[in-house]
Amino acid sequence: MSGYNSDGFMDEDYDDDAFEYSEEEEEFGHNAIIGNSAGASQLNNESQTETQPGVSADGPFYENDLLDDTGDFEPVLGSIKKKKAWEVDYMIYDPEELRAKQVNIAARMEPLLGISKEATRLLLRHYFWKEENLIEDYLSDSERTLAKAGLTAYPPPPELKSGDENFSCAICYTDGADESYLALTCGHRFCSDCYRTYVTGKVLEGDSWRIHCPAPKCKVLLGITASRLLLAQDNTVMERYEENLTRSFVNDLDTFAWCPAPNCEYAIECHVPRTAWATTIPVVECKCGNSFCFGCKFDNHLPAPCYMVSRWLQKCKDDSETSNWIKVNTKECVKCKSTIEKNGGCNHMTCRDCHYEFCWICMGPWSEHGQQFYNCNRFNEDSSKEARESISKTRQSLERYIHYFTRYNNHEQSAKLARKLLATTEKNMEQMQRELALSWIEVQFLRDAVDVLSVCRSTLKWTYVLAYYMVADNQKIIFEDNQSDLEMATEQLNGLVEDPIGQDTVDDIKRKIMDKSTYVKTRWETLLRDITTGLQENRWQFETL
Amino acid sequence: MSMVPKRIMKEVERLNKDPVPGIEVDIVEGNIRYFNVIMAGPSQSPYEGGHFKLELFLPEEYPMSPPKVRFLTKMYHPNIDKLGRICLDILKDKWSPALQIRTVLLSIQALLSAPNPDDPLANDVAEQWKTNEKQAIQTAAAWTRKYASQ
Ligand SMILES: [Zn+2]
Ligand SMILES: [Zn+2]
Ligand SMILES: [Zn+2]
Ligand SMILES: [Zn+2]
Ligand SMILES: [Zn+2]
Ligand SMILES: [Zn+2]
Repeated sequence: MSGYNSDGFMDEDYDDDAFEYSEEEEEFGHNAIIGNSAGASQLNNESQTETQPGVSADGPFYENDLLDDTGDFEPVLGSIKKKKAWEVDYMIYDPEELRAKQVNIAARMEPLLGISKEATRLLLRHYFWKEENLIEDYLSDSERTLAKAGLTAYPPPPELKSGDENFSCAICYTDGADESYLALTCGHRFCSDCYRTYVTGKVLEGDSWRIHCPAPKCKVLLGITASRLLLAQDNTVMERYEENLTRSFVNDLDTFAWCPAPNCEYAIECHVPRTAWATTIPVVECKCGNSFCFGCKFDNHLPAPCYMVSRWLQKCKDDSETSNWIKVNTKECVKCKSTIEKNGGCNHMTCRDCHYEFCWICMGPWSEHGQQFYNCNRFNEDSSKEARESISKTRQSLERYIHYFTRYNNHEQSAKLARKLLATTEKNMEQMQRELALSWIEVQFLRDAVDVLSVCRSTLKWTYVLAYYMVADNQKIIFEDNQSDLEMATEQLNGLVEDPIGQDTVDDIKRKIMDKSTYVKTRWETLLRDITTGLQENRWQFETL
Repeated sequence: MSMVPKRIMKEVERLNKDPVPGIEVDIVEGNIRYFNVIMAGPSQSPYEGGHFKLELFLPEEYPMSPPKVRFLTKMYHPNIDKLGRICLDILKDKWSPALQIRTVLLSIQALLSAPNPDDPLANDVAEQWKTNEKQAIQTAAAWTRKYASQ
C-alpha cells in the first residue's frame, strides 16, 4: 500500500487506516465519493432515538457527491452518530454506484500504470482488484504482467473489418471479402456473426471480462470495449454483460459482498479482515432492512462469533431429533398436571386451572424470577457434578446442550410470537376505535417496543450459544449475570406488551412500555459492549472448537 | 443459425476427402449431427490392435458448444469411466469453437497413447495406474483383446 499512497494517490476507500477512526469521529466521513447511499451502521431500534434531524434512516444525503479525481476527500459533516463498540464500518452500494466505483478505481490506476484504460481495467480485474499486488508485479516486470493476463499495453481500438478475399472464418467456414470480421492483437480472425454468437453464449453463462479470443488455447482477452462493440445491437445481452462485470467485481473482492436478502440489489463494502471475525462480528444492515453478518452472510448473530455460529447450527442440525421434542409448544403444569399451551412470547405462565405462576423455561416458580439469587439462565454445573456417578457422560452433555438449546430456541420462538401478537393487537385496537368511536390511539410505541424485543431476543438467543461453548469460571458467572439482567428486563417488557390495552388504561400502559423499552435498551447496550470488549480481551475461555 | 449446418457439411466433406489415419467416421443414417466412430488403438500403447467404437453427437449449439463423445467399447483407462465418458479438457472448459471433429478425435487418440492418471475420471483405474503401472497396462491390454478385437 505504502508505495503509492505516498505519491499522493491516496486510496481513500481501500486504505485500511481510513476505516479506523476514533470514537469521536463522525461516521460517514469517508463516503463522500460514493454518493448518497453511504452506509449507516446502526441497529434498527437505535435509529428511532439517536438519528439526528435531517438524517434519514438510510444515511445522510450528500450535496457534493461528485466523483473526486484527485483522490483527496473532504469529510462531510452532517451526521453525528457515534459508533458503538460492537458496530463496524461499512458502506452500501446500489448497482449504479458499484459501476461508478469500478470506473473510479480504474481511473485512479490508469495514470499510475501508464497503460491504456482498457488494459488498466482488465489488469485490475485479473488481479481481483488487489491494487498493491498489481503495482508490485507491474513495477518488477510490466511486460510479463500484461502477457500473463492476456493483455497488451496499448491494444488498437477493436473494429469490425471486411474486404479481405482471403478471409475465412474458422468457426462457420464462410469466406470472402464480404464477410466482416474482428481480430484481436493475436491476429486470430473470426466473422462478426460467430463472434457475436460466441460472446452472447459466454455472457449468458455469466462471463464478462474473462471472455477471450475463440481460437484454441489463445489467452488474449477480448476486452470490454470489443465486447460492447459486438453486443451493441442486443440490449438484453449488453445489460447482462454489464451486470456480470459488476457481479464479478463484488465477487472478486473480499471486502465486498451482496446482501443475501432475496431480490436485493445492494452490495456492502466492509473492511473488517477475516482474521478479526473470531472476536468481531461484522454485522451490517442493508438499505433493504436486512441485518446480516458480512462474514458468514447469516442473519445478524451478535454477539456470537461466526465460527461458533456455524458450529452451533451444525450441531442443532445433527441433534434435531433430540431437540425436536423440546420445540413442542405444550407443557404440563408442575402442580396440577393440566396441559398448558404457550401462545404469547412471555415466559411468565399462569396455569388456567390452579393459577400456579411459573417460568416456561425452567418450570420454576415465577415469584423467584427477577430476584438476584435466581438463575434461570445458568446451567447448574454443580448439580451435574453430583450426578456424575449416576448419569452417563453422553446424557450429561445432552442435558447441558438441551439447557442452552431450550433458551436459544425460546428466544427465537418468542420473537416470532411477539410479532404475531403485535399484528393482532393492532387489529383489535383498530376495531375498538371503529366500533366504540374512540379517539385514535397511536400504536407506534407498541411497534417500537416489539422492535426492541426482537433485537434483544436475537441477542439473547446468541448469548446462549456463547455460553454453551464458554468454559465455566468466574468470568462466565459475570457474563451470565449480565445476560440474566437483559433477559429479565426483556421478559418484563414482553409482559407489558402482552397486557390487554383498553381506552382507559392506554396512557398508563404506554408510559410503562416506553420506560421499560428505554431501560431494556440500556441493558442491551451494556451487554453488547461488555461482550465485545470481553471477546477482544480474551476474557473467556471457549471449548476448543 | 443457418451457418452451423454449413460448417458441419464442410467438416464432414473434409473428413471424407481427407480421413484421419486410424479413425473411421460414419454418419448415422438420416442424422447429420450423429456419428459412429471406430478408432484404432495407437501403436506402442496397451490399446494397440484394438478397434474401439465411439459415438459422437453435435449438439444444436455446436460449434459454440463442444461435441458430445463417448466410448461404446469397454475401456480400461484412467480418464474414461464405465459409461465411456471421456475426461478431456477440450471437451469441457477448454473447448474452442474453432476446434473441429477432427481435432477432437485426434485428441482422444492421443489420450489413449498418454493416459493421465493425475486427472482421473475412473478413480480405481487411476489408482492402479499410479501404484502399479505395469499391472494396469497389462489389464488394459487384456481388456483390449477381450472387448476390442472383432
Ligand atoms: Zn463465422
Ligand atoms: Zn487469439
Ligand atoms: Zn439488502
Ligand atoms: Zn457471521
Ligand atoms: Zn396448574
Ligand atoms: Zn425460569
